[in-house]
Amino acid sequence: MKSKTILFSLFILIVLVQLYIPLKMILGEEDVLTNGKEFKFETAPVDPVDPFRGKYISLRFKNNTFPIENKEDWARNEEVFVILKNNINGFAEIDTIVHKKPLESIDFIKTKVQYVYAYKKEKTISVKYPFERFYMEEFKAKEAELLAADTFKDTTKTIYASVFIKNGKAVLNNVFIDKIPIKDLVSKKEN
Amino acid sequence: MSVLKDLNELISNGIITKEIASNIENYYNSKKSDSTNKLFIVFGILGAILVGLGIILILAHNWDNLSRFTKTILAFTPLLIGQLICGYVLLTKRKNVAWRESASTFLFFSVGASISLVSQIYNIPGNINTFVLTWMLLCLPLVYLLKSSITSLLYIIGITYFACNSSYWSYPNKESYEFWLLLILIIPHYYNLFKNSPKGNFLIFHNWFIPLSIIITLGTLSHNYEKLMYLVYISLFGLYLIIGETDYFKNNKLRNNSYKVLGSVGTLITLLILSFNEFWGKLQTVEFIFLKLLDYIEIATIVIITCAAVILFFIQKTYQSIKNSSLIEYVFLLFIPIFLVGLYSSISVILINLLIFIIGILTIKKGSNLNHLGVLNFGLILITVLVICRFFDTDLSFVLRGLLFVSVGAGFFIANYLMLKKRKNEK
Repeated sequence: MKSKTILFSLFILIVLVQLYIPLKMILGEEDVLTNGKEFKFETAPVDPVDPFRGKYISLRFKNNTFPIENKEDWARNEEVFVILKNNINGFAEIDTIVHKKPLESIDFIKTKVQYVYAYKKEKTISVKYPFERFYMEEFKAKEAELLAADTFKDTTKTIYASVFIKNGKAVLNNVFIDKIPIKDLVSKKEN
Repeated sequence: MSVLKDLNELISNGIITKEIASNIENYYNSKKSDSTNKLFIVFGILGAILVGLGIILILAHNWDNLSRFTKTILAFTPLLIGQLICGYVLLTKRKNVAWRESASTFLFFSVGASISLVSQIYNIPGNINTFVLTWMLLCLPLVYLLKSSITSLLYIIGITYFACNSSYWSYPNKESYEFWLLLILIIPHYYNLFKNSPKGNFLIFHNWFIPLSIIITLGTLSHNYEKLMYLVYISLFGLYLIIGETDYFKNNKLRNNSYKVLGSVGTLITLLILSFNEFWGKLQTVEFIFLKLLDYIEIATIVIITCAAVILFFIQKTYQSIKNSSLIEYVFLLFIPIFLVGLYSSISVILINLLIFIIGILTIKKGSNLNHLGVLNFGLILITVLVICRFFDTDLSFVLRGLLFVSVGAGFFIANYLMLKKRKNEK
């Protein structure tokens, strides 16, 4: 009987841990969404070549490269901190990229270096933004990709992702085409 | 059961007593309930896997109309259901294997589902390694609390995937030492299976999964000296062969003696790879420079596994007579000097080819002595594969190569014909 009580108490402990992990994830994301600052990231064409992963659309961002001075200072897949600013059109841009974690009051994202590029005098690095997937309803994702590709051809329209940022953590909230959520546009088109 | 039908007849004719008849009846009845129980376990587990995966798929549809809060509740539902069932099983049906295994299997998938659904709701791209690692660690306690072997097998698959993904499939690839720690965590369960149900099917599955997982992940330890990994692998297969020859495994059917199968097949495949000239040519150009700790770890792995194999081998041979062992068990021992010679000279490639050829011949001889067509043809196949390999990298003329093939083919016919004829005569 005693061993049964111990076993069950241990089980309850495991249950709590199993619940705690996803709950902690949720609370962390919610915290950024409610207390973080919103940035708008202009996206390049949405990757339409992935029919197997239709549940989400992959986003490619326009402002993800930054000029550097020394190629040797940076390594692929190295962890870096991207400090952001808004350009005149109200879209996010890289202000600078640093190796050390900035102060909490500064708007930055913790991420990784994707490529280090150096050819003659042109030296840049590109970073991988940690919000490249936008999950959508199963049958709408493909439609959204096509819509985004059409929009990109039309230079008068812009596609952007609304991302909340707090202390280096970024949460992708929504994707818009000219201020209308892409989900709504797809639904409208279907109707 | 036909025997049961005949019991009355046997009693009336005075062949067996009523007591014996009732004993026979009881024996078959208990056997029947045993097999139904097994069926329950299998279907219970299959059901739990299918329902668990089905729920993941349904939730993955990702309804747009639902609010974030509702989606979150949905993500937690299977997890809570799984936990409630497991709690119930733990309190009331702890002795029932079918309940224990199915409930923990369901909970295993629910944990994975709830984490990945939260990632989906919040568009977290997520690192697959962290995800798998978290998932496996959250489910590991179920193996011990619910004594669930299926969870243990799923865990082994999970950690093997983790090791491969963080090492072979990432750039820049790194060693995944965590894997070995994770593997150690499952060993007590493996030991319990050995102790408590040495004839159980779950143990047989573990006997396959654990050595296979080690074979797959051992390469993640390679860092600078990839070539030296062949030495480690040959030693590991040698180690498996030693384990396969222990009393426990020896008396098992071949398909249940995973260590022997993996050890033999692994040794032969590695030898065939090494029978090409290319490997030895490159080996001579390897320079040994120890700059980082990692290099030492790599060398230490090689030394530890090789030494372990050598020591166990000699311990075993003091108990068993050398006459009963086959050449393949000695391969790893012979390989060490061949490999060392190979660092300086190309003669090793000839020695390896000779070794494979002798193993083939001895296997054919063994098959003929044992009057076993399977063993005989296995030896022939080995020599055929060796000939095919040489077909590609030697400068022999086509006529000579053709003759080689014809003679090996004729060998197949003659050996099988002689064996069948011998059998006929014996009848």
